[in-house]
Amino acid sequence: MTARRPAALAILLLSAGPALAQPPEPVAVTVTDKGCEPAALTVPAGKSVFKISNKSRRVLEWEILQGTMIVEERENIIPGFVQSLSATLQPGTYAMTCGLLSNPRGTLTVTAAAAAAPGAPDPMALVGPLAAYKLYVMTEVDAFQAQTAAFVAAVKAGKIAEAKALYPQARRHYERIEPVASLFNDLDKSMDVRADDFEKKEADPGFIGFHRIEKGLWADNSTDGLAPHADRLLADATELKRRIADLTIPPARMAGGAAGLIEEVAATKISGEEDRYSRTDLWDFHANVEGSRKIFDLLRPLVAPRDPDLVARTEKNFSRVESLLAKYRTEDGGFAPYDHLSDRDRNALKAPITVLAEDLSTLRGKLGLD
Amino acid sequence: MASCPFSTSRRSLLRGLALGTGAAALSSGSGRAADATPSAQSDGTLDRQPFHGPHQAGIVTPQPAAALFVALDVLAEDRGELAKLFRVLTERFAFLSAGGPVPSLDPRLPPADSGILGPQVLPDNLTATLAVGASLFDDRYGLEGARPRHLRPMDRFPNDSLDGKLCHGDLLLQFCANTAETNLHALRDVIRHTPGLVALRWKLEGMLPPHVVKRQGQDTVRNFLGFKDGTANLDAADAALMRRQVWVQPGSGEPGWAAGGSYQVVRIIRNFVERWDRTPLGEQERIFGRHKDSGAPLGATDEHALPDYASDPAGVRTPMDAHIRLANPRTAETASSLILRRGYNYSAGITPSGQLDMGLLFCCFQADLDAGFVAVQNRLNGEPLEEYIKPVGGGYFYALPGVPEPGGFLGQGLLVGA
Repeated sequence: MTARRPAALAILLLSAGPALAQPPEPVAVTVTDKGCEPAALTVPAGKSVFKISNKSRRVLEWEILQGTMIVEERENIIPGFVQSLSATLQPGTYAMTCGLLSNPRGTLTVTAAAAAAPGAPDPMALVGPLAAYKLYVMTEVDAFQAQTAAFVAAVKAGKIAEAKALYPQARRHYERIEPVASLFNDLDKSMDVRADDFEKKEADPGFIGFHRIEKGLWADNSTDGLAPHADRLLADATELKRRIADLTIPPARMAGGAAGLIEEVAATKISGEEDRYSRTDLWDFHANVEGSRKIFDLLRPLVAPRDPDLVARTEKNFSRVESLLAKYRTEDGGFAPYDHLSDRDRNALKAPITVLAEDLSTLRGKLGLD
Repeated sequence: MASCPFSTSRRSLLRGLALGTGAAALSSGSGRAADATPSAQSDGTLDRQPFHGPHQAGIVTPQPAAALFVALDVLAEDRGELAKLFRVLTERFAFLSAGGPVPSLDPRLPPADSGILGPQVLPDNLTATLAVGASLFDDRYGLEGARPRHLRPMDRFPNDSLDGKLCHGDLLLQFCANTAETNLHALRDVIRHTPGLVALRWKLEGMLPPHVVKRQGQDTVRNFLGFKDGTANLDAADAALMRRQVWVQPGSGEPGWAAGGSYQVVRIIRNFVERWDRTPLGEQERIFGRHKDSGAPLGATDEHALPDYASDPAGVRTPMDAHIRLANPRTAETASSLILRRGYNYSAGITPSGQLDMGLLFCCFQADLDAGFVAVQNRLNGEPLEEYIKPVGGGYFYALPGVPEPGGFLGQGLLVGA
C-alpha cells in the first residue's frame, strides 16, 4: 500500500506528543493467520511503541488506520520476526490491519492524555481553522513584504514624509502574525529588535531593523545612513515570506498565539515602549489585538460548545478594547500618537487586556492541545 | 511593635542622652546591655562565619536567607589609594562578620554607626565577599598585566536585554546574612568608611525563604517561576569537588595572585511572571524538565532522582530543549561545565507596563569562566524558557582569594605582586 496520509493529518501529528511521564511501555500485538491478538488495544494519546510479532505464514504489513487513511505502518515483517513501530497518536478510534485482507481488523482506541481537558474536540475538527489561519498568515506576510518594500524604497529615496506614513502600515501586518513570525527568531531579532536590548542602546551596532530606521526618520529627521538597514530589512521580510510559505503551523502554536499576542500587548505595547520615536504604538497595539481576535474567531466554533461563558466574555472584552481604541482612530484608518492616550484610558485598557490574557491562556487546554 | 518603636528603657536612655549624660550609658549602661543581648540564643543573630581563611567566605558557605549585591566604581586616584580601599574593606568585612560593640563618640559628632542593628553589631551569619571586575584592570592602577585571563565585561547573549545601569562595575560586594537589615547595615558601614574611594553603580537585594534555608540539604528553594531551583547543584561541602570546579589553582594559567579565588557571574534575570502564571502547567514542566510540585525530573517521582537521558535520546520524556537537560546534559563531555550556583530571588518593583519586576538574581562561581557559566549559557541560548525570562543586568567578576590571617588584606597579592 502506498497511500500517503494527507497533509492536514501530518500537521496534527507534528505537534502531537505530550510529554508522557514515562517512556511508553511497548504494546505487544501478535498477528496470526486469523487476525490480531488482542483484537482490541487501548493506549493513551501521545507516543506509543507497538511490538508486532508475525506468527502468520506470510510477510506482514501492519497498519494503523483512521478511516481509509494510513496513520502509521510497518512493512515487511517476516514470519517469525518481531518488529517495533513507534507512533504518536491523537485521541480517537483507529483500526489495525491484521494480516490477510479477509481477516477482521482490530480496534485501537487512543484515550485522551491526562492533561487534555475532558471533552476536547476531535483533532480533525482543527483542520479547517488551521487551514484558514495559514491562509490569513500568508495574506498578511504578503502584504507585509509588499509594504516593507514600499517603505524601504521611500527611505532609500530620502522621502521622509512618505516613509513615515508607510512605517506603521507595514508593521501592522507583522504585528498581526507575530506568533508565527516569531517562530523565526533570527528574523524577528533583526527586524524588530529595540534599543533596550542593547547595553549601549541606540549606539550599539546591533541596533538595526524597523526601530533603527524609525529612530532615523523621527528622532534624527534624516535618512542618512539608513540605506544598509533598509536593504537588510527588505531582505529579512522577503525571507520571512519565503519561510512562512513552507511552514506547517502547529495547532498549539495557533491556539497559543491568541494569548501570546495579548501578552505582547500587556508586556510592551501598553507602556508605549515599542515605537518610542514615531509614537505609532497604537497601530501595533491594535494589530496584536486583531491577530489574536482572528485566531479566536476561527476557533470559536470549537470552543463555544465547551465554554460558552468564555466565548461571551472574550467577545465582550475584545469589543471593550476596540471601543476604547476607537477614540484614537484617525481618518486614514490608523491611530493617533501614543502620547494622546490618556492615563485613564491606558489604565482602562488594562482591564479587558488582563481578562483576555487570562481567558485566552486556557484556549489550548480547552481544545486538548498540549 | 509599629506603634511602639521604643522600649521604656530605650526611651529613658534617649532622655539621658538629651541631658548630656548618655555617653557613659552608651557603653556601660545596663539598659543597653539588655538591648544588645538576643532574647533567644537560637535566633541566628550570633551565627558567625569566619572571615579569615584561604578562600573568602560567602562562596562555599551555606546560603543564608538574605543577600545584597552591590557593584561599585572605584574613585581612588592611584594604586596607593586603591590599596587603602582594599585595606579598609578588609577591616570592615572582618569586623562586620565578627560583630562587636559600636564605638561611642562624642554625641556632638555624627555617630560611628548607622545604628540600624543597635549598639551591638550582631554577626547574624554575615559574609562579605569582594570581587573585582575587568574594568579595574584598565590603565588607572597599572594592573593591566594582572587581569585574570578570562575576566572581561559580561558577554551579551542573544536573549539579553542589558541595561547599562545594571551592568558591570570595578568591584562587586556580595553581602549575605540571615536578615536583610544586616546586609544593609554592612553596606552603609562600608559606604561610610570609604568616602571618596567608591561610587555606587548598581545594587539588588535577594531573598530565599528562611524556613527552606533552615532545611538546606533536605529541601530546595523555589524560584519565582515556582520551580525548585538548585536540586542538582554542586555540593559546596565537597572540598575536592570545590578544588576542581570552583577554586582557581596555582599553575592553572591564571596570574599567581589569583590562586584561591574564583570567577563570579551575576545575572539579573527578569521573569515575566504574569505571563508564566497564565501558561499551562504541562508546558511549564516541559520547559524546565521537572515536575513542578515535587521537583522530580519528568517521569520520576523523587526530586533527587537522576534524569535518565540515555534511555530518552529523542526527548520523548524530557524534551531535548528542556532547561535542565540543556544546562546539564549529564555527559562526560559536559562535566567540565559544572558550576556552583548561589542565586537568590529578587523582587524590585513594577515595569512601565504595570507588570511585576521580579525574577532570579543568578550567581555562580567557577574556576574557569568559559568552561563554566559561558559554556552552560551557550547551551541554553534559544531554550523555550527564553519566552518568559529576560536577563537585564549583572557582570563577570573575580572573587579575590581569601585573607589567610589577620594582618593581611583582600587583594594583597594583586596589589603587591603586580
